[in-house]
Amino acid sequence: MHISEGVLSPAVLAGGAVLTVVGTAVGLKKVDYEAIPRVAILSAAFFVASLIHVPLGPVGLHLVLNGLMGLLLGWMAVPAILIALFLQALLFQFGGLTVLGVNTVTMAAPAVLCFYAYRGLLRHPGTPAAIGAFACGFSAVLLSGLLVALALISTGQAFLEVAQLVLLAHIPIMIIEGIITLFIYLFLQKVRPEMLEGIYAS
Amino acid sequence: MLRKWWRGQFYQLQSIVQLSVFIMFICMLTSPALAHRAIIFAYAEGDTIHTESKFVPDTPVRQGEVQVLDRKTGKVLLTGQTDDQGKFSFKIPAEAVAQQMDLEIVLDAGMGHRGEWLLRADSYLKGVRTATAPASTSTPVAAKTPAGTVDRQQLEEVINKALERQLGPIKEMLTELTVHRTSLPDIIGGIGYILGIFGLWAYFQSRRKKNP
Repeated sequence: MHISEGVLSPAVLAGGAVLTVVGTAVGLKKVDYEAIPRVAILSAAFFVASLIHVPLGPVGLHLVLNGLMGLLLGWMAVPAILIALFLQALLFQFGGLTVLGVNTVTMAAPAVLCFYAYRGLLRHPGTPAAIGAFACGFSAVLLSGLLVALALISTGQAFLEVAQLVLLAHIPIMIIEGIITLFIYLFLQKVRPEMLEGIYAS
Repeated sequence: MLRKWWRGQFYQLQSIVQLSVFIMFICMLTSPALAHRAIIFAYAEGDTIHTESKFVPDTPVRQGEVQVLDRKTGKVLLTGQTDDQGKFSFKIPAEAVAQQMDLEIVLDAGMGHRGEWLLRADSYLKGVRTATAPASTSTPVAAKTPAGTVDRQQLEEVINKALERQLGPIKEMLTELTVHRTSLPDIIGGIGYILGIFGLWAYFQSRRKKNP
């Protein structure tokens, strides 16, 4: 999922950076005092998730967890992902500092989109919410794959070809992420229902 | 009031602990190997340069595209494709030897994954000399020298060749070791940074809350 340094053109890099700044500003506005620990934990989880290697498919894959972040954070997922990606670039050399903007967009935009797309389902506890949680984890990875392919158009690679490749490679991850998101959702519903009620109250 | 606040804090802490235990549990289920970055490393052996490409930690890059460039001018000297073990070897181009170019070897593994390796001229030039020199000099000399007294130069060449062969695997290992790999301190340090950043943020927010 991380696009490496030196692949994309300056225009795409700049576009990604601008979108990230806007998204981060919106996200930071939404963070209140009570939400800070949640943002911190999910940021740390995202940071570590990229190290969890899933030995399936043609290339090495890792967890993304952006669906889970969208589900629990909404817009606040943007600053959380930005910080985690920054540290990953610094410490693990995943991605890179110049691609930070684009990588944040490819992973955070699906989180925000899924939050709004599945908010309706998640408001109804029981089966609809469970389906929503699974779909949230599943489609966030799917959208990320599409965004990666979109970003790579500028390098002259054919969109359909890359999109097909990325999506096929990530099918196992989509399913695994869907299940993880579902389980964490069910777990929180049982242990900390007021946290979810806080997010999906109105 | 204070008591209620403390209870709230306690519950929050409790939920944090529960969630992190759960996340750790997931981490344990899947193998905690390292992730998804494409790397390429290269080393010279005689007049050949061997490259090996991997997705971190250890998946070979199959059919990845490798480009060899002159570092100074950015001119592409040759291109190739990795095999099923992620390996690609090529003879050192004559112009690279003549101009003592530093070679930049770039891997494009697809889907936006790219790796780079810089091979300095002095690390392959020596090998080229020992590999190409004997062809011109050794055969006539060998015919003339009487048995028992081996020509010193010839002996050196034979030793060099043998050494090159024996040191090949060691060179490969050493080169691989210089590739930066994620270590536990990196991971724990990163988590520490994240919690620290948000802790600081929470601190300032709490101060702002106290004096409105």
